[in-house]
Amino acid sequence: MKTRRDFIKAGFALGASLPFANLERLFAADLPLKTAGVSTTPVRAKSILVAVRDGERAAMLDKAMAALGGMEAFVKKGQTVLVKPNIGWDSPPERGANSHPELVKRVVEMCFAAGAKSVSMFDNPCDQWQRCYTNSGMEKVAQDTGATLVNGKDETLYRQVEIPNGRKLQEGKVHSLVLDSDVFINVPALKHHGGTLITACMKNLMGIVWNRKFYHRTDLHQCIADLLTFKKPTLNILDAYAPMVRNGPRGESADDLVVMRTLLVSTDIVATDAAGAKLLNYQPSDIRHIAIAAEMKLGTMDLEQVDIRRFKLA
Amino acid sequence: MPPKLLKWLRVVVAVAVFAALTAAFVDFRELVPWKIGHTLGEIQFVPSLVALLAGASLSLACIIIVIVTLAVGRVYCSAICPLGILQDVVIRLTKRLKSRPASYARPHTELRQTFLWATIIAAVAGWGGFALSLLDPYSNFGRIMSDIFRPLVTLANNSVVGLADTVGWHGLFRVVPSWAGTGALMVPVFVLLLVVVLAAWRGRLYCNTVCPVGTLLGWLSQHAAFRLQIKQSACRKCAACMKVCKAQCIDLNSSAIDFSRCVACYNCVDVCEKDGIGYRFAWARKAPISTPAPQAAPDAVRDPHRRVFISKTMLGIAGTVGISRVLLASEKLRGGKTKPAPNFSPVICPPGSASVERFIDRCTACHLCISKCPTGVLQPAFMEYGLLGIMKPRMDFNVAFCNFDCVRCGEVCPDGAIDLLDVATKHLTKIGEAQLFIDQCVVVTNGTDCAACSEHCPTKAVSTIPYGNNLRLPSLNGDLCIGCGACEHVCPAKPDKAIIVTGLREHSFAKKIAEPKATLPKSTGDFPF
Repeated sequence: MKTRRDFIKAGFALGASLPFANLERLFAADLPLKTAGVSTTPVRAKSILVAVRDGERAAMLDKAMAALGGMEAFVKKGQTVLVKPNIGWDSPPERGANSHPELVKRVVEMCFAAGAKSVSMFDNPCDQWQRCYTNSGMEKVAQDTGATLVNGKDETLYRQVEIPNGRKLQEGKVHSLVLDSDVFINVPALKHHGGTLITACMKNLMGIVWNRKFYHRTDLHQCIADLLTFKKPTLNILDAYAPMVRNGPRGESADDLVVMRTLLVSTDIVATDAAGAKLLNYQPSDIRHIAIAAEMKLGTMDLEQVDIRRFKLA
Repeated sequence: MPPKLLKWLRVVVAVAVFAALTAAFVDFRELVPWKIGHTLGEIQFVPSLVALLAGASLSLACIIIVIVTLAVGRVYCSAICPLGILQDVVIRLTKRLKSRPASYARPHTELRQTFLWATIIAAVAGWGGFALSLLDPYSNFGRIMSDIFRPLVTLANNSVVGLADTVGWHGLFRVVPSWAGTGALMVPVFVLLLVVVLAAWRGRLYCNTVCPVGTLLGWLSQHAAFRLQIKQSACRKCAACMKVCKAQCIDLNSSAIDFSRCVACYNCVDVCEKDGIGYRFAWARKAPISTPAPQAAPDAVRDPHRRVFISKTMLGIAGTVGISRVLLASEKLRGGKTKPAPNFSPVICPPGSASVERFIDRCTACHLCISKCPTGVLQPAFMEYGLLGIMKPRMDFNVAFCNFDCVRCGEVCPDGAIDLLDVATKHLTKIGEAQLFIDQCVVVTNGTDCAACSEHCPTKAVSTIPYGNNLRLPSLNGDLCIGCGACEHVCPAKPDKAIIVTGLREHSFAKKIAEPKATLPKSTGDFPF
């Protein structure tokens, strides 16, 4: 496992290349994003949500990314990328408690293919972190792809930040990879959740903050939404191939999963979660953090207002 | 075997055992395979004896050690016992601090026997786990390494992580150092100081005064078939052997070696230029050739010795039985007066330990499981088990919770105190049961969702039910709870947690509800949006 060394090196490199990165962004901002149909102009165009069905994970991702203009639309040559899977549990891939290594592997490969200088991954897991990393299959993904798996249980790697627009969550410690990476790709698994009904893209971001207890003690749903005022992922890739439909988010066995062979990809985190909620038979507004985020204008909950591109691979 | 090879062989084995055991105990990130610690723990005298007597395993190490000692003396004390080797390290490091005068010291026979008999009496009385946890040399070593050096090594690791990063050294990461509580830490600190001071001052004095294993093996060694003896014809009385003797047991005035205190380090054999010290068969009826006439009638001397030895043994056994009967009777008396104790325990012992009583009885508190516990939920107790359970591992859910799929403590335990459970059995092994104090729950007090407890519960003993305005309230089915402590650890309620695990004195099994395969929501073959 490559860890901090790569991370710090990446940090230095990033520091050195910051002016260029910014310039590059300036030039690159419009063209590919426009081809992808995503506009960054203040006039809010419809969010695009790509939904793919009936394929294998990698194939569905390939299809979805092609529809969004390829990974190149999001990852520029020489950029540092953070891929944030759900690695919260010491649980094997077939139990669906974590993001599936097959999908994560494909995401990382695409980032490198698009010219990423480095791809890092981490989570601040619930179970013992090394066992989570190993048994989820993420360690193997890192080894196979050259991605850097970083310790999410090292408090010194988290930095204190202000979240001025948060209503309840107004400060907190956020992992420096989130703060320092050029591109932030959120790759959660869709699951039932005993407390928040579902867990998908927004809930997965609890793994980038150090003190989750504050969320639970204060107002879980509000804090989940508040964090988005500080940082939104560049891209959200929601794995709904075989979502956990009960006993979530940890699950007991593979019997807790229902095969749906679906993948959702969008830059709009709220829209992605809203569609995920639908997949698990909930109305998006049933999920309070989705409703709050929509109300705070952090994304689109009303799927009627989303440009959904649907693909069936079979 | 050439006699000069003996010391070389002893040093090689000792260095290997010491290095491997030290590595196993200070390992803070599971780098050392657990089998190394387990195997080297299992071949130690006390863990092996405890496991054998408890019927936990067919641990023959203790029998082999007895046979070896009866054959050639206390090889165990110099080659295998890590606390002994630790003293040798101290002796070596402090050698140059002072010029040690060549000296023979008289044995502290009464003190030695007191410690040994106290241990034996305690064991027969049912306090063996307590006595051995204080006096077993291996366990003392384990605690010194696990409780003092492991956190120090962790801190050292953390301090070089940054440096390693900049010079491009892969694979280091920071780990939170795991310090035992002050109370539990006092004992290993005291023992370390005692052992270091005694070793620097007078060599293996600890082994030949305090250590019950040293005394027991010394007693066997005294009657060993082969003993190191001084060849009168070769000896020039240069006292080189006395200078290097760590046990101060060579008396050149009488040309005798007190073999009960000799730890078989073979320094004397190695140092003697005249090959004047070597093994001689000592069970021959005839007096050894080396014993000169003036020493006079060794048989006459030996017979009363043997008589004293046998009578003391008989007396000791009789005394032990007597005292233990009294103790057991008083225990029964106490037990008779109180009602049958409820199956609850204020302290929680690890899965596989079966019951608090059995655990306290068998565990010698070597802290190998504490070193190897991946989450750190196992912490040394101070008075949580009572005095008899001081330093024994307990589940501390403030620090962490028990990893559902992990059986590491059972794998490493060398003295059969923690059974090795298969993972399926561990999943149902109930060491405690959660209790929900719903009035303290965040969902009730704050009116916001939480469900951290249910989220972490591996058996779904804690689930959630609808509550109030679209909230989810924790709901507990105690029958499913195994007492892993995940819910308690993560409960954010302040000042008191809303879900707390109470230990079971006798562990039992949780129920499991078999759920059919999930089928909802049914696929329509299309997108639901």
